[in-house]
Amino acid sequence: MIVTASVYLFGGLAALATLLMLFQRNPVKAAMLMLTALLATAGLYLALSAQLLAVLQIILYAGAIMTLFIVALTVTPQALHDKPSAGHLKKVLGLAAAALILVELVKVSAALRGSPFSTAFSDAGTLDLARQLFGRFAYQFELLSLVILASIVAAVTLAAARKVER
Amino acid sequence: MMELIEANKDMLLFTAAAGVKVLAFLGAIMGFAGLLTLAERKVSALMQDRIGPNRASVLGFTLNGLFHPLADAIKMIFKEDFVPARAEKLLFTLAPMFALVPVLALFAVIPFGDYVMVFGYQLDLQIADVPLGIFFVLALSGLAIYGVFLAGWASKNNFALLGAMRGAAQMVSYEVVLGLTMVGLLMIYGSGSLQDMVRAQGKLLFDFIPAWGIVLQPFAFVLFLTAAIAENKRTPFDLVEGESEIIGYFMEYSSMRFAAFMFAEFVEIILVAMLASTLFFGGWQVPYLYDTGFIFPGGGALELDHYLVAALQVGSIIAKTIFFSWFLLVVRWTLPRFRFDQLMSLCWKGLLPLALLNILVTGAAMLLLGKI
Repeated sequence: MIVTASVYLFGGLAALATLLMLFQRNPVKAAMLMLTALLATAGLYLALSAQLLAVLQIILYAGAIMTLFIVALTVTPQALHDKPSAGHLKKVLGLAAAALILVELVKVSAALRGSPFSTAFSDAGTLDLARQLFGRFAYQFELLSLVILASIVAAVTLAAARKVER
Repeated sequence: MMELIEANKDMLLFTAAAGVKVLAFLGAIMGFAGLLTLAERKVSALMQDRIGPNRASVLGFTLNGLFHPLADAIKMIFKEDFVPARAEKLLFTLAPMFALVPVLALFAVIPFGDYVMVFGYQLDLQIADVPLGIFFVLALSGLAIYGVFLAGWASKNNFALLGAMRGAAQMVSYEVVLGLTMVGLLMIYGSGSLQDMVRAQGKLLFDFIPAWGIVLQPFAFVLFLTAAIAENKRTPFDLVEGESEIIGYFMEYSSMRFAAFMFAEFVEIILVAMLASTLFFGGWQVPYLYDTGFIFPGGGALELDHYLVAALQVGSIIAKTIFFSWFLLVVRWTLPRFRFDQLMSLCWKGLLPLALLNILVTGAAMLLLGKI
């Protein structure tokens, strides 16, 4: 009972915060609403006793990625002012993308319906976790490190280019 | 009604015990934080050859300034609660809470003793023994950034915003190092639960050295303490405040809202001190003290009552916490402030590679010693 109630509570909060974020013009307030949505998602994971996922959600998304967003917002001066309304083409494109994602999400949730969710990943010690990460998911893990390497190279290139201009 | 109580007896007992633990532990933390505000002023006075605060008196007794935290609290409550006209009211109000609440919530996973038997029930001296406690610490300490950022941004003051920007950049950088320094411990103890880590530190190396984190990971401790002081935003890493240049992110705050930021800083000192002693100095462990009493490596033994053992263990973590709190105060009044570029290169070019190296060496050592 408590589990179902908290799932609906956190799910509702996440949906509400996301919706409010979409209609928020001020970037920093939008970031704060997104933070609320991320934290509510972490609560959702916790309610479903996926502790590791919940904690990683907070560390990575709420703690690291949102902070980087905020740092980026503060160093772009126009971000601190309200954004003017976007053109019609952009609106249509945005709505189309949103509809596409919604359809995919509904498809995925329909496919997952009825299949039991595994808790093997949640109640693990560090050794089990390491086995999963570096064994079962080794390929995905290494692929991700490539993505990170690419972004580091891109960041270094951007920073170095500025130096040459001086 | 009685049946309902009988059916949910375990749940009710658990809730009641947790409530008592939260009240007692957080009460002690708050009281200690209040005393630390006085200790900070006294330590600074001592180091600058002054006497320090000694005037607040009750019925003519000053007790060498012991009433100053109380006087400060009363003063703070009665100050004008000012909100700048152009400030974002809601976020301005939320910011002090964001600064204080995650820090207080963190104490839930820190063990302050082993266990005591109360009327035949085993009462664990920890609010919540989370299997992934160490990740929980990282997650919540990461949220403290928002207190700083929101305070600076919502006050709509350029200097406060500068402080907030510095704070966000500084804290997200040092958060990475803080997380990496704990990886070595995670590898050695094989558990993310802080209570498990403390229990593992009760073992002996070569039958006479306590297997404390400082013995196994001395290098990580130095990195951890540096990163933790930086996360705490205290001198030499207090560029977020930088009184002589930008005053800082809470510049527009007054009254209890300001007090919340100050209080959060002192609670963070206790947090860093408790984490340092839990992760690296055996937590509540007293060397050679076990459930039944002292068993010395030479063969001597001293049997002790269960309650005495529990009291010694709780006393041990209290003593360690007081020591590290004092150490942090002394550090603050000894070192000058860094420049911002020095702060950033120390983190990304100094501490981060060293923390990664520490993980590599720990892994290699564990492989060579056949511990995996």
